[in-house]
Amino acid sequence: MSGVGLALRLGVDFVAGVVVGVGIGLLLDWWLGSSPAMLIVFFLLGAAAGTFNVFRTASGQGGAVGFKQARDAEKDADGTDGSDKKREGNARDDKRDD
Amino acid sequence: MASPLEQFEIKAIAPIEVGGLDISFTNSSAAMVATLVLGTALLVLGMSRASVVPGRIQSIAEMSYEFIAGLLSDTVGAEGKRYFPFVFTLFMFILIGNLLGLLPYSFTFTSHIIVTFAMAITVFIGVTILGLVKHKMHFFSFFVPPGVPLAMWPLLIPIEIISYLSRPISLSVRLFANMLAGHTLLKVIGGFVFGLGAITFGVGGLLPLALISVLTGLEVVIAFLQAYVFAILTCLYINDALHLH
Repeated sequence: MSGVGLALRLGVDFVAGVVVGVGIGLLLDWWLGSSPAMLIVFFLLGAAAGTFNVFRTASGQGGAVGFKQARDAEKDADGTDGSDKKREGNARDDKRDD
Repeated sequence: MASPLEQFEIKAIAPIEVGGLDISFTNSSAAMVATLVLGTALLVLGMSRASVVPGRIQSIAEMSYEFIAGLLSDTVGAEGKRYFPFVFTLFMFILIGNLLGLLPYSFTFTSHIIVTFAMAITVFIGVTILGLVKHKMHFFSFFVPPGVPLAMWPLLIPIEIISYLSRPISLSVRLFANMLAGHTLLKVIGGFVFGLGAITFGVGGLLPLALISVLTGLEVVIAFLQAYVFAILTCLYINDALHLH
């Protein structure tokens, strides 16, 4: 489940970058009448941005879900998914509060 | 047989038209109103007779409060408390909307991209204004990755800006795609129960029926998980705007 969730998250992150890049490219082409130069440039930039997004999510830097937990998990030197750890942590907190 | 996508159709309950604009009260609006009423009732009723040993409704209200308050202090820190009402409202709206959508004959408004996108763009614009107000022009240093040589800036700044602009899209598509796919799958498997059951005197319907029971449980988890992901990403974006790099 968490593996599928991570895969979907990475897929969406990548596609979002490409979509924004292509959107900006098409808009600039329509505005400047330079079709397809801007589309090509911004498609490549968008793909790069998408790859950046994926890299950030996967390596647990800013903008990634539960990145703080992922870093904590690294410190604990266990390879579990950060978000899973987060949920366990909350379950533990809830029990203690009861 | 009914299409598995029929559940996503918008139907006007009370047609209203103002100046050529269709602002009818639809089944989607009805689901949103139900979500608001239920969420408000849950919190108001839960805390109206607040006792030291909480009852069922009170512990749900307290747990959801503590969950989001913990999320904010984990990701943003002490100054995150100020944004608690916003994140909490967003979380409860999505969570209750997702859960209500699982009831038979109800409507899942989070399975419409326009609804999730409206929420995501609100977060995006709000966070951008927050960053601009807090850091003034210094906010734009956010788009310069730290420790990068000057020669790389013309290439990296557009990439960073596109990456920043892609946030509302990935935020909204994630929630929308999960809800759309889950509900379509439920309806398709539900169709198998009838289809296989009708030609095998009910025996063949048992397997898809068992599957749909399991999937409904999974959908409850996803309903919670997606509300959680939306809330935590909002927290992270607020954190980014407040602290930049």
